[in-house]
Formats: sequence, structure tokens, C-alpha cells
Amino acid sequence: MTIEVSKLLDGQLEAEDAKRALEETTAQPALRDRYTIYGLVGDVLRGNSTPDDGFSVRILQRMQAERVRIEPGYDPLADDIS
Amino acid sequence: MANTDPDTELVRLAQAGDLRAFEALVVKYQRRIARHVARYVRRASDVEDVVQETFIRAYRGLAAFRGDSAFYTWLYRIATNMALNSIKRDPAPVLLGDDAPEERSEPFHPGVSDHDDPERRMIASQIAEAVQRALDRLQPDLAAPLMLFEVEGKSYLEIARMLSIPVGTVRTRIYRAREFIAKRLEPVLGPQRGRRW
Repeated sequence: MTIEVSKLLDGQLEAEDAKRALEETTAQPALRDRYTIYGLVGDVLRGNSTPDDGFSVRILQRMQAERVRIEPGYDPLADDIS
Repeated sequence: MANTDPDTELVRLAQAGDLRAFEALVVKYQRRIARHVARYVRRASDVEDVVQETFIRAYRGLAAFRGDSAFYTWLYRIATNMALNSIKRDPAPVLLGDDAPEERSEPFHPGVSDHDDPERRMIASQIAEAVQRALDRLQPDLAAPLMLFEVEGKSYLEIARMLSIPVGTVRTRIYRAREFIAKRLEPVLGPQRGRRW
């Protein structure tokens, strides 16, 4: 299954396969771990060996806390630099 | 695969309301976006704020993403705008001349208030060393596709042509290379298991 995680990370799965791989990956901590480690390996090879201290978890927690939703009509690039 | 954006399917799923797909994109890009933002914003706590705001705005605006550019390019542009906004609100860090971002030698460590934190510095160094050691022991026929993909930014198809191997073999070799490195990286990351995503 970990090969599917690698393919998912690289966009090598077609729609239904990607959906299935995402479901399995998010459902299993070991696969979620693999997804993050594979990503970290790529970042390290590009020169960024920053340890992950839950940075992404905090982003996701904030999104849940603020009940962030997709807003039709909202364009983040239309926000001028103020 | 005809589409050149590797995130097409995850973006489609996220646009259809699957938050897990967006989470996968956050996990995939948070470090790269943080590194980009840190070129503009000096304080680590501010960097984290800007990165969080970038992803939040991206999610709110997902319906506006039409795939005219790659998802990462779109995200990168949002992050740039957010970073510039942050500088305008707090113009203290001026990064010019010898302090220009591309000339800063110190790596950015998201999530800490002081990027001189010696412990994090040590962990970053251990991670880099573990990956390098694994890479040194990796078979060249596995290392080459991984490096071409991750470092040179080549697509699977381009790698297949360059190495005269089928695309399916590229997929397998990149996976095997990652797995080889991941197994050697796990002992360094051990204490963080379960906290990553």
C-alpha cells in the first residue's frame, strides 16, 4: 500500500484510485506517517531539513476551530496587498 | 497522465468538499511555503502566522482555483501576497544587501519563536545527515529517478525518457528509493511519530 502513498504524493493516480488511496492513507496512522516522511525526504533533498513539530497539525486545527469553509466567489489573489 | 499538475486529483477532491484532500496538500507544501515566506518575514512566529493564513485563504478560495496554473504556483502567489502584507503591517525586518533572503545561510524552522533554537537545529542536522547517509547507500538506479524528480523537478515522463525506462518503472524506483530512505530516517524522527499529520 505504501507505493500508493508515493503515487498519491506525486499525483500519479487517476481520480478513483487517488480517492481510494487518500481514504486509506488518512485512515491509517502508519500510512499518514509514510506520506509525511516521503514529503520530508523530498524537502531534505531540496535543502530543507526542518523538523516537523506539528506545524501542519496546528494549521488544520485552526481551520477547524474557525470553521473555515470554501467560499464560492472568494478569490484569495484578488485580495490586494493592503 | 495527461495533466502536468501533480495535485489535480487532490485539488478536485478538496473542491468537492473532502477536507482530507486539502490536509494532504497542507502536509505536502507547508514546509516549502514556510521556507518561501521566511524569505520575506524574519520572525518565526510571524512566518507561521503567514503560512497559516495562506492555507486558510487558499481553502476559502478553492472554488476560484481553475487550474490555469499548477496548484503550488497559485499557493505560492497567495503566500507572497500574505508575506508582503505582513511586511507592510510590521516593516521592521528589512532584508536587503547582505541580508537578502537568498543569502541567508540559516535554515528556517517553522513553529518556534526563535530559529536559533539549538535543539531544533540539532534535529534538522540529524535529519539531513540521515537522509544523506541513506542516499549514499542507495543504489544509483533508484537514486537517479528520485533526485531527478525531487531536486530537478522533472516529471515522471521526462525521467522515463532520460533514463530510457518505462514510466511504471520510474514510479516503482522512486517509491523504493523513498522507502529505503524513510526506514533510515525513522529512528531520527521516532519521538515525533503520530504528531506529523
